[in-house]
Amino acid sequence: MQRSEVVMEVNKVIHEGFEVPFEKLNPSANLFADLELDSLDAIDLMVALEERTGHKVNIEVFKNARTLDDVYRMVGDLVTQ
Amino acid sequence: MRVYISGMGVVSSLGNSVDDIWSALLRGDTGVKAVPEWGKYNGLRCLVAAPAHKYDESFIARKARRTMSPMSEMATIATLQAMNQAGFPSDNLWGKLDEHRTLISMGSTTGSPETLEENFRRMFERGGPEGQQATTFFKIMNHSVPSNVASALAYQGPLLSPSSACSTSAQAMILGWELIRSGLYDLVIAGGADELHHTSNSTFDVVQAASIGFNDRPEETPRPFDRKRDGLVCSEGAAIVVLESEAHLEKRGGKPLAEFVSGAYHCDGTHMSQPQTPAMVKVMTQSLKRANLASEQIEYVNAHATGTVMGDVEEARSIDAMFGRKVPVSSLKGHFGHSLAACGAIEVISSVKMLEAQKLIGTRNFVERDPEMPAIFLPQGVVEKKFSTFLSNNFAFGGINSSLIVSKVGAR
Repeated sequence: MQRSEVVMEVNKVIHEGFEVPFEKLNPSANLFADLELDSLDAIDLMVALEERTGHKVNIEVFKNARTLDDVYRMVGDLVTQ
Repeated sequence: MRVYISGMGVVSSLGNSVDDIWSALLRGDTGVKAVPEWGKYNGLRCLVAAPAHKYDESFIARKARRTMSPMSEMATIATLQAMNQAGFPSDNLWGKLDEHRTLISMGSTTGSPETLEENFRRMFERGGPEGQQATTFFKIMNHSVPSNVASALAYQGPLLSPSSACSTSAQAMILGWELIRSGLYDLVIAGGADELHHTSNSTFDVVQAASIGFNDRPEETPRPFDRKRDGLVCSEGAAIVVLESEAHLEKRGGKPLAEFVSGAYHCDGTHMSQPQTPAMVKVMTQSLKRANLASEQIEYVNAHATGTVMGDVEEARSIDAMFGRKVPVSSLKGHFGHSLAACGAIEVISSVKMLEAQKLIGTRNFVERDPEMPAIFLPQGVVEKKFSTFLSNNFAFGGINSSLIVSKVGAR
């Protein structure tokens, strides 16, 4: 999967699942400060990404994600494994 | 100390405001519809239900909405309606209230049945919690409704979640009345909510209490007190009332809609599902006693009567024993269906509207009295009636019986 496809899929998950407007979804956006997600959202985001990609997310890697770019890279690694 | 109802809110199968349900009751509408898609459930015979009217929950902030199932969404809408009517605007719900002397008393039969089914389906499929969402539990916990209402409306005061199936909202209101009378609270936001689901319907179908003979004529069921009744029809909704002490209402210049005079709830302690006339008589007697009223002072009885073969007979016998055959009696289950935890408050709200209009709403679908029943007075259609006090019953699985009394303001 190309990075652009990863970005599109992750953005769709966050927009549809967490009602974040697409215009706020830029790589440097902080998941918590900018996108206003919290600890419950983080778990549900992880579950949603697992369902969308069909791959198990490493929770330790996911816990360290702070920006949207961190999530793009994590999902990119996941789908190219 | 007198306790008044100062606000009322509702989401239901007949409409999503107090004015809408009153108009629907005057027209004799029913919320019951065919649900043929339930035919796929093995063993389920009752394929009718009364779903709530469509409502818009989009105004609820996402972080509050994400943990809500429909019952919490409906309860939030009904709570706002009730608080607004009581004089507390949405942009300042709590500012005029002492948070330590305000109580939310509201419940549901269970947590969200829809979410429970999905939760366990996933768990069985995956052999454990793998893939479970973090927000699921908050939809299925027993106090999901009041907690979610509090979260959505930024309420930070005391909260209780009474749960007694079909007596839930009656019990929540009576508990509120008791606690205001005790001097602990000035204002109680009380009621209940439940959402429609095939598993709730199945509960009644399994114990032979659901209507199964009218799948092709949904508007003809349920039939409280009627000879051809064959069971209840599940509905859904939320109904909330604001109860307030006389002193608090006067101090803030609020307007009372009706006086909440009394109530009682008892467990019959003998059977989980079989209604018992003596237990019904006992709880109505206690409600009258707590109101210091004689049975002759009750001028209308809003019956629980869900349309079940056993329950309606037992309630008719108990009403006959308590009030004789002259006091008018009706059940609103033929209009709304049975909204379970919400029904007690829906019926109080509807009866307060009857009190205001001095009109009684007769039992929809009642055509011919069951010869097994005493000939209690069951008016049909809409009847003009000068009256000032009514008694409303709710009886629940688990043997939880409740009965409450409401009067016109200034009648006592």
